[in-house]
Amino acid sequence: MFKKLQASWNKKGLKDRKYEFLFEPYDGDEIVVFDTETTGLNPKIDNIVSIGAIKIKGNKILTNDSFHILVIQDRAISSESIKIHQIRNCDITEGMPIKEAIDNFLDFIGNRKLAGYYLEFDIAMINRYLKPMYGIKLPNQQEEVSAIYYDKKIARIPQGNIDLRFDTIMNELSIPKLQGHDALNDATMTAMMYLKLKYSKQKLN
Amino acid sequence: MIELLEKLGDYPPFSLLDNVAFSKIDASSVVAYYTGETVLVDIGQSFDKIFVIIKGSVASYNSNDEMIDIYHEHDTFGGIAYLKSLPVESKFIVHEELICYEIPTSTFAELCNDYHSFRDYFFHSLAQKVDNIKTKQEFSSMGDLMIARVERTLLHSVCIVPAKTLVTVALKQSIEYSSSVILVDNSNGYGIVTDTNLRKYILLEDNSSTAIGDVQTTPIVSIKEDELLFNVLMLMTQQSIKHLPVVNDSNEILGILELIDVVSFFSSQTHLITAQIENSTSLESLILVSKKVIIIIDALHSKGVKTRYIAKLISGINKKIYAKLFGFIAPAEWHNKSALILLGSEGREEQILRTDQDNAIIFEDSFNPLDINEVTNSFIKALDEIGYPRCKGEVMMINPKWHQNLSKYKEMIDDWIENQSSDSMMDMAIFFDSLCVAGNAKLYIRLRDSLISGVKSHPIILKHFAKSIESFDEALGIFSTFSTKKGHKNEIDIKKTALFPLIHGVRSLSLEFGIVHTNTFERIKELNNIGFLSREDALEMIESLEVINTIRLHSALKQQQLGDEITNFVSLSNMGKMQRDVLKDALKTISHFKKLLKYHFQLSMVS
Repeated sequence: MFKKLQASWNKKGLKDRKYEFLFEPYDGDEIVVFDTETTGLNPKIDNIVSIGAIKIKGNKILTNDSFHILVIQDRAISSESIKIHQIRNCDITEGMPIKEAIDNFLDFIGNRKLAGYYLEFDIAMINRYLKPMYGIKLPNQQEEVSAIYYDKKIARIPQGNIDLRFDTIMNELSIPKLQGHDALNDATMTAMMYLKLKYSKQKLN
Repeated sequence: MIELLEKLGDYPPFSLLDNVAFSKIDASSVVAYYTGETVLVDIGQSFDKIFVIIKGSVASYNSNDEMIDIYHEHDTFGGIAYLKSLPVESKFIVHEELICYEIPTSTFAELCNDYHSFRDYFFHSLAQKVDNIKTKQEFSSMGDLMIARVERTLLHSVCIVPAKTLVTVALKQSIEYSSSVILVDNSNGYGIVTDTNLRKYILLEDNSSTAIGDVQTTPIVSIKEDELLFNVLMLMTQQSIKHLPVVNDSNEILGILELIDVVSFFSSQTHLITAQIENSTSLESLILVSKKVIIIIDALHSKGVKTRYIAKLISGINKKIYAKLFGFIAPAEWHNKSALILLGSEGREEQILRTDQDNAIIFEDSFNPLDINEVTNSFIKALDEIGYPRCKGEVMMINPKWHQNLSKYKEMIDDWIENQSSDSMMDMAIFFDSLCVAGNAKLYIRLRDSLISGVKSHPIILKHFAKSIESFDEALGIFSTFSTKKGHKNEIDIKKTALFPLIHGVRSLSLEFGIVHTNTFERIKELNNIGFLSREDALEMIESLEVINTIRLHSALKQQQLGDEITNFVSLSNMGKMQRDVLKDALKTISHFKKLLKYHFQLSMVS
């Protein structure tokens, strides 16, 4: 009830009717896993450097329908964050302005459910632009991958301290490692986690 | 393109593709996840996509629910079935949770059409796959083998002229010296003039007064006398130097080393050793030369020479060593009245590394020398010194069992046939693989023929003889679980599971048909000649034997390099995907052959 109210409140803010489809109920069987690389960890002041997203349909990751965009920065990326994601200033001369990137991203995800690792952060990053642009927050359904992992794990060790680090989950689920801190690779790895957590009959240790 | 896909290109057959192909795969493929036990494709269905495993494994089962193959990371399946447009004859089931690519058959067909080497990969015969591995090994480490050094005998005379000399004068002088390059003596060092420099000289507009110093390359690259020849070869090939001046410690030019000589030196090493063995005049010099044999094996293998030929070369050399030793050590009266034979793998001429001393002596009935112990002992000592390990089973001429006269040996053979114990069968196998290398060969032939005729008149013995091919686990069964023996994770005992059944099976058949060749390759060919084996089967068996020997040698050399004990365990995890594939194919052939033998000798009826 409260959620519904929140959703309609959110929708009221929508400035551009073009994006009304985001609020339609979704009746397909696809999910979008996405990840952002940013200039820092504060969604209030930091910027998006790149967005990677990939669709999941049933038990398949649609690598043939993936999304990877670099964003042109209006200020130089700090050397600290370059060290993390290894996207240098010179690497994003070919990117696109953030507004265009957000539009493309909305077209890609549509009204599908979103999934990700520490999704809250990535959603907040997107919302930081979405709010001033269209007056809304992402209305899509959301599913946190580390939470699915947590639920499976806590069932086995109720009093346990559960390590939710990305690499720990990767190892535990024995997911092939890709070069990290690339938004599309991270999204792909997260998608593999998602499938394994959703479908595997194997018990976690 | 996502990185997952880029990694695909690290392994054959996808390594044969380019970026255009990858963007096609990228635009059409998906990554799929399946839980264990999922049936991917069932018997009678056809592949509508090609699977490439990212993680996990898939097993295939035939209609009797026997596991026939298992596919691991980086393996591709569905390709052949699709290309041959055959309905699937086996069921593909997820063995261990699977993450895989699915490439639509339409994309796959397009790739096969555009990239023939990619397509051919799926049709490669075992032999071609092996050749691929061989080419790869050529680049692998050369080991500690190339210990030969630059010797003066290899050098060419050199023509040295002052820098001011006219080119035409210098050239005349070099012809007199018959040297292919000219060295230029500058005040501050040497320069060199080769054909390349002269080409430029010819093109000069006015070259009548050009001095040699004007066309030289300076300074020169030179090496010291006594440099390792292997380093020289590396230097010359890396810097594309064809003529290399060699200097002594005080930097005086000794002569020119030419690339062609270095290369031919390496290839003629074996001939050199054979000649040195032939010409050795004392026991000491013979032992010295013989020690070089092991170095050669290394060298030949890293050059990608087939193990079959290595074995032939090595056994050729070994035979010479034995014959020469016999000449030095055995007293003159022995020479006509006894025969020196090699048994087991030496008799089959299949030893690819130094193998044990397996030897015996047969005496004429009337000949009972008093110095037996003395002579055989010094013989074995000489072999020790060369570096042949002693035979653990004591099949050596110092053992009274293996130095007897002809009639005693015949009694022993009769005894083998009569009591059929496993020890007897083992002795019989060792003896049936023997080869006479010195002395009076007629003695040996008489003995061998009496074994063959003995078996002919008691054919039942063959079942007992062949039975031991069943003593070890099925190789493919082991393969599917990848590890069975404790302490040998991801390793298989290649001798027990693969080599032994093949060699012993062929040996049993040869004994039955009275084939006198001892070499397994020759025996297989003979089994084909007499019509027992089809040509295809024979070829496949020869290829399999070659594969297994290569893998075994490769592994043994590696263990040797690491200073580990040489075992028959071969690590599967260190093996490249291609090698694993080839080994799998070979093991399948052997398993097939074992079934044939079981039926032929009716082994299920022997207890």
